[in-house]
Amino acid sequence: MNPGPQVVLYLFDNPNLPITDTLIVAWLSVLIIIISAKLATRKLTIKPGKVQNAVEMLITSFIDQLEPMLPGEGWRFLPFIGTLFIFVGVGNLIGLVPGLTSPTGDLNTTLGLALVVFLVSNYEGVKAHGLWGYLKGFGQPVIFLLPINIIGELAKPISHSFRLFGNVVGGGIIMALVYQVVPGLIPVPLHAWFGLFVGLIQALIFGMVAIAYISVARSD
Amino acid sequence: MIQFTPEVVEAIITTASLIGAGVAVIAGMGPGIGMGLAAGKATTAVRRQPEARGAIITTMLLGQIISGSTGIYSLVIAIFLIFS
Repeated sequence: MNPGPQVVLYLFDNPNLPITDTLIVAWLSVLIIIISAKLATRKLTIKPGKVQNAVEMLITSFIDQLEPMLPGEGWRFLPFIGTLFIFVGVGNLIGLVPGLTSPTGDLNTTLGLALVVFLVSNYEGVKAHGLWGYLKGFGQPVIFLLPINIIGELAKPISHSFRLFGNVVGGGIIMALVYQVVPGLIPVPLHAWFGLFVGLIQALIFGMVAIAYISVARSD
Repeated sequence: MIQFTPEVVEAIITTASLIGAGVAVIAGMGPGIGMGLAAGKATTAVRRQPEARGAIITTMLLGQIISGSTGIYSLVIAIFLIFS
């Protein structure tokens, strides 16, 4: 039993360019997101229909999370945070389809997303304080804390990516163990917990932590 | 000086890494206690000030995320120990 990503084929037969199954499922979920977004916004009306109402509720809940943490700038960060949430949510839920593995169960995917959040938060910090003002913030409150602050900043993407990866892979391992012991109908309710609930909560948490990192970098 | 065959050495390494994985997940105790404390305090706060429910839940979740990181680290270490 190996929970890691499996290499499906090599691009141009080059051993340095492996294509794993999680990568293919990630492309598939991106396709699903693009197609459903196109379908949901095809004919927008003043009086919303069912689909438009649901999408508007989703956007409003994002804004309700964003506005208290980033006052006045919620709409500027909505595309970034909303994309993170929707991609992680679809990536977690697509693992419920038999035969597909979650792209978020691969450390490469989550570390990539976390590094994007790391770059954006540092860029916003530099933009808010200027380069020297932002760098001076690492020496606060006394200069002796400089290494600890730098280690704390570098630990952010690591903990951010390991949290999602650990939750998804841990749930998958527990499900595999249960399937070995009691195959049949008994593991089905566990899918509701590990697939649906933990998947959606982790997507929400991934977005919330990204908002928190950006707002901390802008405010300190 | 006892000379071990490579199979015995491999078995010892496997045993040690499995024991290490078991020891690593003992760290799951700490985040459990911490997250429970945060949830209990948040319940008290909602009881005291029900109109601030949304802000309290957001703050509680953020604190629980940070305190839960150590548990996730131990889980990841255990996974790496078992499957490497």
